[in-house]
Amino acid sequence: MKTEAVEEVQRAEDLDALQQVRVKYLGKKGLVTQRLKTLGSLDPEERKIQGQAINALKQEIEDAIKKRRAELEAAELEASLARDRVDVTLPGYRLPTGGLHVLTQVINRLLEVFRTMGYEVVTGPELETDYYNFTALNFPAEHPARDTQDTFWTTDGRLLRTHTSPVQVRYMKHRKPPFKVVAPGRVFRNEAVDVTHEAQFHQLEALVVDTHITMADLRGAISTMATALFGDGIKTRLQPSYFPFVEPGAEFAIWWENPRTGKSEWLELGGCGMVHPNVFRAVGYEGFTGFAFGFGIERLALISYGIPDIRYFHQNDLRFLRQLRGGL
Amino acid sequence: MRIPYSWLSDIVPGLPSPHSTADLLNSLGLSVEGIDEIPAAPASVVVAEVQSFRPLEQNPTLFEVCVSDGSRSRSVVCGAPGLYVNMRTALALPGAVLPGGAEAVKSQSIAGLHSEGMLCSPKELGLYDYSGGLVEFSDDAKAGALLAELWPAETVLELELTPNRTDAFSLLGVARDLAAKLDVAIKHPAQGVDPGVACEEATEALSIDVEDAVECPRFTARIIDHVRIKPSPLWIQRRLAALGLTPRNNIVDATNLVTFELGQPSHAYDRERIGAKLSVRRAHAEEKFAAIGGQELQLAPEDLVVAARDDSGADTPVALAGVIGGAESSVSPSTQQLVLEVAHFDPVTIRKAAKRHKLITDAHYRFERGTDPNLPPIASARLAHLIEQVSGGKARSEYYDVGVARQRSEIRFRPERVPFLTALAVESDVQKKYLERLGCVVRTTSDGHWSVRPPSWRFDLALEEDLVEEVARLYGYENIPETFPTIPFVPDLADVTYGNLRMRLASMGFQEIMNYVFVSAHELEQAGAQPHKVVLESPLSAERNVLRTSLRPGLLAAARTNREWPAVAFFEIGRVFTEQETERLGLLLRGEWGTQGAFEGRRSDFFVLKGILEQLADLAKVALVIQPEVIPGLHPGVAGAVIWNGERVGIAGRVHPEIEKAYGISETFMAELDLPLLGRPETFAEYSRQPSAERDLSILAAGAEPYDRLEAVIRKAAGPYLLDVAPFDVYQGKGIPTQYKSVGIRMRFRHPTRALRDEEVDRSLADVIAALQEAGYAIRT
Repeated sequence: MKTEAVEEVQRAEDLDALQQVRVKYLGKKGLVTQRLKTLGSLDPEERKIQGQAINALKQEIEDAIKKRRAELEAAELEASLARDRVDVTLPGYRLPTGGLHVLTQVINRLLEVFRTMGYEVVTGPELETDYYNFTALNFPAEHPARDTQDTFWTTDGRLLRTHTSPVQVRYMKHRKPPFKVVAPGRVFRNEAVDVTHEAQFHQLEALVVDTHITMADLRGAISTMATALFGDGIKTRLQPSYFPFVEPGAEFAIWWENPRTGKSEWLELGGCGMVHPNVFRAVGYEGFTGFAFGFGIERLALISYGIPDIRYFHQNDLRFLRQLRGGL
Repeated sequence: MRIPYSWLSDIVPGLPSPHSTADLLNSLGLSVEGIDEIPAAPASVVVAEVQSFRPLEQNPTLFEVCVSDGSRSRSVVCGAPGLYVNMRTALALPGAVLPGGAEAVKSQSIAGLHSEGMLCSPKELGLYDYSGGLVEFSDDAKAGALLAELWPAETVLELELTPNRTDAFSLLGVARDLAAKLDVAIKHPAQGVDPGVACEEATEALSIDVEDAVECPRFTARIIDHVRIKPSPLWIQRRLAALGLTPRNNIVDATNLVTFELGQPSHAYDRERIGAKLSVRRAHAEEKFAAIGGQELQLAPEDLVVAARDDSGADTPVALAGVIGGAESSVSPSTQQLVLEVAHFDPVTIRKAAKRHKLITDAHYRFERGTDPNLPPIASARLAHLIEQVSGGKARSEYYDVGVARQRSEIRFRPERVPFLTALAVESDVQKKYLERLGCVVRTTSDGHWSVRPPSWRFDLALEEDLVEEVARLYGYENIPETFPTIPFVPDLADVTYGNLRMRLASMGFQEIMNYVFVSAHELEQAGAQPHKVVLESPLSAERNVLRTSLRPGLLAAARTNREWPAVAFFEIGRVFTEQETERLGLLLRGEWGTQGAFEGRRSDFFVLKGILEQLADLAKVALVIQPEVIPGLHPGVAGAVIWNGERVGIAGRVHPEIEKAYGISETFMAELDLPLLGRPETFAEYSRQPSAERDLSILAAGAEPYDRLEAVIRKAAGPYLLDVAPFDVYQGKGIPTQYKSVGIRMRFRHPTRALRDEEVDRSLADVIAALQEAGYAIRT
């Protein structure tokens, strides 16, 4: 019986078959179990000898089963691993990859810099009144400066703001110095659209007012911003210029190394100056000085990314947008 | 504004090199946008004098021209009009290479005649932009002279001036600033010129009646006799060419030269055409005026004109004042006697007139920005002197002068304001010198401050701050240090630009786009958006003349732009202009949601879109509900109002199939929500550590029954321990009666502090079942 049983165990092809073999020999009614039950009728001496033999047999069968089980389980694992095998070279399953518009990225970067410098971010309406866009900013009624900013007027006498500076007036009207604010936003000029001109674009404007703010503070702020944006080694340059809402007024440029071209150059960024006394008068301030500076976002983006045409920004073509999604 | 360097250096002694001069100008705020290097006239071109010419028999548009090259006669074939005997022009000798010409000029046979060179137009020589005839020189160009020596290279500084610095729209103005910076005295072009005798009364020879001294504060006129119209001498032609102008004749060229030299426009009338009685008046209604260049203007009563009264009493406009002269009364080749008008006009009047008639002239450009009111007598003398030089004419010693010299108001000035505002440590005596060099008169007042009177040409100087800038400008902005003020200010950190929302959406797979705020009314209508409220007066394109009331047209346009892509997911955050200006979020989805290809993706559908909105609501810790509603522009059966935390904030749904068709796009889903989407503040609450128990139910509901009603019944009946409830299956078909659907629901129960007993959960389940049955639902299991 021993040989027979062990052979049967070894022949079992799967765990079910093995279980059946086990039942056949070692189950409650199994052949080995039956034999053990017959021991009671033997005399003690014989019972001892037979008992030992049967238990040895049982042990051997159990060992065989254990061994076979291990073999079968190993085979099963092997098979299931083979079954679960995938082609890891197939592409992954993915949800769409989104991204921020490149102008949003540039604005975010700038706002991060200004927040670090302790500025508050503020915004204002795009549809403005003549008062906030021009009059309160010291543009006289018939001044050619209103002309140079060819404005989109609306039939009800309002206008699309030509710069972010109206936000200065709106903020100052309900706040008292000292403060440091930065206003990003969309602005509009009624001019023919071409490679370098857009009718709709973005500006960012900074305004700092306290009892004794100087042009040196202005230069320091521009320098700090430029360093945060472009790293060490930048220089700033102020040159006299004219904007009705500042006096003295200046244009500012930054000497930077364009990482794309490796070339150092003056980047003429925007306008700045000391807040004009007439602007302070319009908002009811007395005894304060302040500086303001502002610049265009698109220009910064064009140069930083090597984009050849300003019109790409509003065409919403994925072939453009997907190239500049903001990285990881 | 183009500034020829050689001309500038005639006025400013000791001018540094062109590039250094450009740097200086930039530092003064007269921004140099470019430096134009103009080459000399080409080599092997000589001045030639026409001796005779005759048309060719076989081709009368061509002439055989006999010219003297200074040493001998040459025969040249030429097709240019306007030839005359003794005309001085330019002959390109064989071997000359002209700018833009591929080959050298050579002797050749034209129409059977030998042609020894080529007579040239200004354009062919690269001198200036005129190709309607041969270049014409005056007597100062001797036949045989090499043109390259008469017409040397020039460097032109191209200035981009700010509108306040109208005083610098001239050689003189630029020179003044440079001289102040360099601390040298300028050589004024009118220096040493006899101004003549001012005559305020009308005479037989001329009377001038100025109706309104506000619109025309100064008007001078001067008669010049015996002029001869001919080409200008070379030096004038060169200077005009360098300015970018086309030389015409000696009189016109002289007025143009002085306009640019002194910044004072002027006009020369043919005296025989205007008579002796001039007036400056408003135009009459219906009055017409033929301007130089042939344009017929219909004058408006607001237009200021110079009019001439003839013997019959007819009073005809001869100039649109300060803008343009008349075709009839201007200088012609036969003119012998001139009246020179040199005046000052009110900038606003001129600006409006030029705008009304859509005219842009060198005169109006200066008048509308403002000219020096005291300059007319000086400029008149300078111009008369110049015309005498170039025309052989004789200016009368008296000139007619209406109006008086003006002084600018004094400005109170505290020198300590310079360091206070600019942080530049400029000593008072240095400040005084700077202001004086700029033409200001400085005096100390009894209170120890200064009273500064700016010169008549600097009407940008009106406030103390303006003078601070003048001092800073001359001292140099480059000397301003960098400082970093610390001011006691605590910024509000609110995310007013929606940076976080944008980032979330980008992470969820949406690409941000940006559209124009101007759209067409048709686009709005087509997209089912609210009709426009704001109309642009002068839009860029006649069609897109209103402001958007919805982000939907822009999103749809972007979907159309990118319709070749298998899938798109866009978002835009921007302003819309309805009764008020509000900020909105727009979402658009089309195509596969997830990869296509080896795996099965999910096509974007309403539930992908709703899931995105639910994610946002989840992040904001608020409830999001979509109420079925028919929304214009959306599919009537796949759309609804978005209820965010109990408030209606917008809409979501599938784009109406008709609109999809119009835009040429497949099934598309959109949402548009008002911003800000307010959320609940995030605070920590202790969470339950107890296990939850689940119970499933399969419920039979009418096919049209909305799920949210069913869920409401469950939530109401399930007792306090219900954690959440969600459908896991909605099924219609085999085994389910038609008109019905089977909804599989999973409920989870949990007690905050202890394990729930099965009986408790089962009791809740029984309550739910009872409530459902009472509400008319059948339970399948």
